[in-house]
Amino acid sequence: IRLPVFSSAHAHFICKMAAVQGGLVDAVEEKTIKSEPVADATANNSANDARAPSSSPGSGVSPGVNKPAAGAAEDQQTLLAVLQFLRKNNLSESVEILRREAGLPEDSLDQKGGDSTGTGLGGPEADGRTDAGSLLSRVTVSSSAPSKAVAEDQPDVNVVLSAYSQQGDPALYEVYYSGLKKFIETVLDCHRAELSQVFYPLFVHMYLELVYNNHENKAKAFFEKFSGDQECYYQDDLRVLCSLTKKEHMRGNETLLDFRTSKFVLRISRDSYQLLKRHLQERQNNQIWNIIQEHLYIDIFDGMPRSKGQIDAMSGSLAGEAKREANKAKVYYGLLKEPEIELPLDDEDEEAENEEGKPKKKKPKKDNMGSKSKKQDPNAPSQTRIPLPELKDSDKLDKIMNMKEATKRIRLGPDNLPSICFYSFLNAYQGLTAVDLTDDSSLIAGGFADSTVRVWSVTPKKLRKVKSAADLNMIDKESDDVLERIMDEKTASESKILYGHSGPVYGISFSPDRNYLLSSSEDGTIRLWSLQTFTCLVGYKGHNYPVWDTQFSPHGYYFVSGGHDRVARLWATDHYQPLRMFSGHLADITCTRFHPNSNYVVTGSSDRTIRLWDVLNGNCVRIFTGHKGPIHALAFSPNGKFLASGATDGRVLLWDIGHGLMVGELKGHTDTIYSLRFSRDSEILASGSMDNTVRLWDATKAFDLETDDFTAATGHIHLQDNSQELLLGSYMTKSTPVIHLHFTRRNLLLAAGGYNP
Amino acid sequence: MLSVTTQMFVRLQVMIQILKDMGITEYEPRVVNQMLEFTYRYVTTIIEDAKIYASHAKKSNVDADDVKLAIQCRMDQSFTSPPPRDFLLDVARQKNQMPLPLIKPYSGPRLPPDRYCLTAPNYRLKSVQKKVTPSTNRISVPRLSVGGVSSRPATPTLGAPSVQTVTKVTAPVSLTNQRFTVQIPPASQTSTTKPTTASTPAVSNVLINPSLIGSKNILITTSMVSQGDSLKRKHEDDDDYDNL
Repeated sequence: IRLPVFSSAHAHFICKMAAVQGGLVDAVEEKTIKSEPVADATANNSANDARAPSSSPGSGVSPGVNKPAAGAAEDQQTLLAVLQFLRKNNLSESVEILRREAGLPEDSLDQKGGDSTGTGLGGPEADGRTDAGSLLSRVTVSSSAPSKAVAEDQPDVNVVLSAYSQQGDPALYEVYYSGLKKFIETVLDCHRAELSQVFYPLFVHMYLELVYNNHENKAKAFFEKFSGDQECYYQDDLRVLCSLTKKEHMRGNETLLDFRTSKFVLRISRDSYQLLKRHLQERQNNQIWNIIQEHLYIDIFDGMPRSKGQIDAMSGSLAGEAKREANKAKVYYGLLKEPEIELPLDDEDEEAENEEGKPKKKKPKKDNMGSKSKKQDPNAPSQTRIPLPELKDSDKLDKIMNMKEATKRIRLGPDNLPSICFYSFLNAYQGLTAVDLTDDSSLIAGGFADSTVRVWSVTPKKLRKVKSAADLNMIDKESDDVLERIMDEKTASESKILYGHSGPVYGISFSPDRNYLLSSSEDGTIRLWSLQTFTCLVGYKGHNYPVWDTQFSPHGYYFVSGGHDRVARLWATDHYQPLRMFSGHLADITCTRFHPNSNYVVTGSSDRTIRLWDVLNGNCVRIFTGHKGPIHALAFSPNGKFLASGATDGRVLLWDIGHGLMVGELKGHTDTIYSLRFSRDSEILASGSMDNTVRLWDATKAFDLETDDFTAATGHIHLQDNSQELLLGSYMTKSTPVIHLHFTRRNLLLAAGGYNP
Repeated sequence: MLSVTTQMFVRLQVMIQILKDMGITEYEPRVVNQMLEFTYRYVTTIIEDAKIYASHAKKSNVDADDVKLAIQCRMDQSFTSPPPRDFLLDVARQKNQMPLPLIKPYSGPRLPPDRYCLTAPNYRLKSVQKKVTPSTNRISVPRLSVGGVSSRPATPTLGAPSVQTVTKVTAPVSLTNQRFTVQIPPASQTSTTKPTTASTPAVSNVLINPSLIGSKNILITTSMVSQGDSLKRKHEDDDDYDNL
């Protein structure tokens, strides 16, 4: 028997290992009372023994062997483990002696799991304590035995999966679950909604345990009996689970493994929690208690229990809700100060208007837009928080153009809706997978399923390539119109096609200075194209799996990408490797967006959560749950304070980033929402969806609320059901799903989609 | 035995039922055919692999273990899954500890080093006829390279049809300020016969600054290169390219 070296605190672990590896599984069969399939010879079940007796109804074991808490518990466990070990090795006399001397009661073996984790549950410090008890249960069957219990050290699937290796009698799972159901039905109304949250994670974990331990038929029966009770928004997950009936099926499914290792977070009020705990501990329901301890994280709050509506609004994600601490970090959501730019070129305009030819006095006007106050906005990051590229002359000119256009901007409102200009891509045959427009709306690019990227000019000005080097040599460099001369007239065309990817192009993004175009594809690469030469400059390799979305930062130079590997990466155009990796999602990242101040990145994922990441240090600063389907659209409001998100469930959710709360819900769409955009001054929110409509919502009214202290502290939200009032207009297209929305600088709404007859 | 068409029909029905069970209700008719093709390919691959393993183990029949092994190997090969979460968290932690690099000002197009870009020419023109001039006269060897380092003087030519060898950039490029140096042949094509000192190839360094709109900092310099000049290009032995 191999006895790895451990500290004394892990002595019980050693005993377990010995038992397992000695293969003396059958030795303790006399303890397993009921119909547990003995034929299941996997060594997993040796770990069952401790628990099995407790779960048997007929064993007459008094479950209330309430061991003293904290300190003594560890020693008791060690003793129990030693006892177990001796028994397994058929050293019955030693067993008796030890028992007598240690003063352990007759059936003391049963309570090994239950009480070790009985203390300190629920609160944030739960994890430390549960580890001690759950160590016992995580007996690793494979040869990776010597290492410490859990999966931190090695990405070994076996270790991860083997946490399911303890269990009670499979035939009794149904009994436990029904028992819990009955209990919760009899509980007071105000607590029932909260306690019902427990059903789904419990169901999934119990099912997975049955599958992992090869009780296929029992698992199927369990599933059939109880899957209908679950909330409707979990149906997709349940369908996936339904097809998972063998242990081997679990192996390749990363999302499932992540679900199993991360703790499902539930937010329950203290009163409800006490009820539940009391019930589970006084019955023979330690099995359920164990599962709750191990796989659930119960975030307790003091206060009124939440109503069903409130709970439904926030739940739906694969990992439960968000812990309150997850949303407490300070987020600098303010905008960066605009640099002061002189406007020396104004005189050109003035001269043009001045037909009399009077020489005008050239007076440089100072830009007084946006930098009125010298004080730093306390919610804004400092200019140097992350390094940003300095403004080139061309960028300054762009800003001046921007400001000029802004003065001509139409003020939108409920009585002044924007005109919508829709760009339909014909003959795309459902191959149009991504669209983007430049900020000044001069170029439109489309990514297609045939791996091409096409760029069109929206204005009458055609697209031209830069001349070849030979020709460039021959032009006069000092002339004023050198910028026109470097362009080759022979290559002028309405559109250009960019070839290079080897898979459908799922994400596309123009750089703010209109020099580069990024495209991300199913082949796992992100390509940077030059819009001067219309050739590919760089291929960024890092994701080895489809990259679903990419976006340039509003200041250029940085870009973010997210894909199937559940990680979002931050790149800079001059580094061939990513600068930051944002890891934490449980499923694919489907949408990535930069905050207007370039300091934060928001990612929406198939695990139905939205996470806000800090570019400076890669930390996740906000987790927003509430969507019931994968998120496909994200939009920041221009003032940086709010976020809007759209998903396959057809709802648009509105979030306050500073407080980390949901502030609104816009119902109306009937199909997946693929695009969201705020108007230039945040008055209107436009949403485009697969149901072939564009809807306009009143953003000023939707965000016009005060967040009181109670809401901020507890996260209880009271959503008003005012979607109908906020809906300003709904516009149907002719069977064209709306993939992209863009407000021009003058607040004209442009929309794009592929015509799909 | 059912006829072939009936068998196919049965298979179609099975596939449609599978799609329904997995909750997929809307799909094009082609999807069913694609799924059938995929399953056929998958199953035959697995069974063939299993046959190989069985014969390797000197068994006469293929049994479940062989199939299991075949499936496992295929899973690791074609159907890989992304790395597990704890590994990703670990890597992310390491990467996120490094501070964001500072951005150099005024550095033209911000692109990674050339070897990570796709901007190098990926072709070369083979020389059509061998030169009769003695090998000492290295000047006549034409070159096109992107900013290579040279140790000997050489004449770059481009465009002359007869004696041409365009070399691929194989060595790391030394770029100054990330400029793309493209060497342009001199107007005269007499370089092939003139001695070194006399023929001074004109080389233009074309600096392409992508921020072209509104800025006048396009730098197009024409510099004359002579022997041992600071302008670098890689000089490679002519003979290497004759053995193709």
